Amino acid sequence: MKIELSGIVQEYPAPEGVGVLRVLDGVDLTFEEGKLNMLLGPSGCGKSTLLHLMGGVRPLGVVSPTEGTVLIDGEPCTGHHDDVVMVFQRYLNRPDLTVRQNVAFPFRFKLWRKKVPKAEQDSRVDEMLEAVGLADKAHHRPSQLSGGQNQRVALARALVLRPRVLLADEPFGALDAQIRHEMQVLLVDLIARFPTTVVFVTHDITEALILGDRVVVLSTPPARIADDFTITEARPRSENWLRSTEGSQMAARVIEQLRGGHGPEGGGQVRVTV
Amino acid sequence: MWNPHEPISSRQRQILGLAGLGTAVAIWAGVAASGLVKPYFLPAPWDVAAALLDMAQAEGDRNLFGAAWASARRVGLALIAVVIIGVPLGVLMGSSSKVNAVLSPLVDPMRSAPVVAVLPIVVLWFGIDETAKIVFLWLGASVFLIPMVRDAIVAVPRQHGVLAEDLGATPLEAIRHSVFPLALPRIVDAIIVAVGVEWTYITVAEYVNAKQGLGYLIQTYKRLSANDKVFAGIFVILVMALVTDQALKLLKRRLFPWETEA
Repeated sequence: MKIELSGIVQEYPAPEGVGVLRVLDGVDLTFEEGKLNMLLGPSGCGKSTLLHLMGGVRPLGVVSPTEGTVLIDGEPCTGHHDDVVMVFQRYLNRPDLTVRQNVAFPFRFKLWRKKVPKAEQDSRVDEMLEAVGLADKAHHRPSQLSGGQNQRVALARALVLRPRVLLADEPFGALDAQIRHEMQVLLVDLIARFPTTVVFVTHDITEALILGDRVVVLSTPPARIADDFTITEARPRSENWLRSTEGSQMAARVIEQLRGGHGPEGGGQVRVTV
Repeated sequence: MWNPHEPISSRQRQILGLAGLGTAVAIWAGVAASGLVKPYFLPAPWDVAAALLDMAQAEGDRNLFGAAWASARRVGLALIAVVIIGVPLGVLMGSSSKVNAVLSPLVDPMRSAPVVAVLPIVVLWFGIDETAKIVFLWLGASVFLIPMVRDAIVAVPRQHGVLAEDLGATPLEAIRHSVFPLALPRIVDAIIVAVGVEWTYITVAEYVNAKQGLGYLIQTYKRLSANDKVFAGIFVILVMALVTDQALKLLKRRLFPWETEA
């Protein structure tokens, strides 16, 4: 599945109420089948906006995109696409449902009830629960789980649909370092089991380098593509690799790109833990 | 002491609550016994208690239990109408800013309007029988319930609906499976408020041609200047409102245990 973004410009009404704030300034990007693509950039540079455009989520009261086109397999993307599923930083699990019911949540909708027979729904849910390591917590409620476990539920709920594209909007951003690392390992494992193209938004350089097959760096707003490179090192990538010549050169390159953006202060808020 | 979040055991809460009530009754008894206020204006607690016993043993339309049942029945029937009509209307208003724009100028001002003033019109349109009383209670409670249900729906963060639609829900499915269940505890709160409002309006509803009911009893005894019985009638309404309120709150805790867990 191919996603093509061309000439994407996004403007929002300026916070002062006069004029417009240009967040994305002519972004051209193509995502090819089956890769883990990291979209890296400082806060407010429009990386989530780009992701939402691909997911068919439009902000309220604003024309989006202001200019440019989004094509999914050559077709203009105007709204939600069955094969493209998003996960957010907020888990958004239903608090009144059990873990199992939350994973099975999309099967409440007519679209998936028609597409996936009941028996297969059940087997997929079981498989996902086992894959994210929550089979023994299937009957717990979200309030009885930790943040990391709740995000596992959200990931399982997305992958149970076997999407061809998974769009992740800083899904591990709210988790502490140890749990974030566990979730990164889990994500790599899940993608190996349930192959899908991933576009993963982050502002954490370490996360981008540890996970990505490809890293796209956006500049400070109005954002353009500042850098776009691939990483051939096999996963899982260790701390040692990050400290190796290759790893540290890549980190330095990203930092330089972020600082070389349009902003007077350079890179904005970027987390570097290398 | 001055911490609203300080945990308090249910036993402690009961003791403090009874202490507050006890003090109020003690002051009431003290004032009544002192003879400073004539019993006509403030009957003593023991006179009210005796009046209650009297009313409980009375025959026909003056029987306390019969009256309580008649009022409770009206409150119950009106509540069913309030929920059946008001909840879907509130959900509809909360789910669409266009529907809200059409209906809110009709609904919102009614909250501060004197619904009591509408009673003659209700009587004019629905006659003086049971229907008019229930319509009046329905109207009085609905003007509170509908905006509260609307606000409960609007209060659910938009991301929940966005997620549901991203997972394949139609806009209506997103409301049904994502937004509505999350708003439900607050909708039940609105229903609890609606019952309370109905109990406050029950005496007004029973002003017109009631044959039975607590409001009818209060008016009848007011005409007879039996103010101890008027007090007793008010007391029974308060107790019944309190019991309904507590029962619904208990039901709410049972239905939504996750609300307090989170």
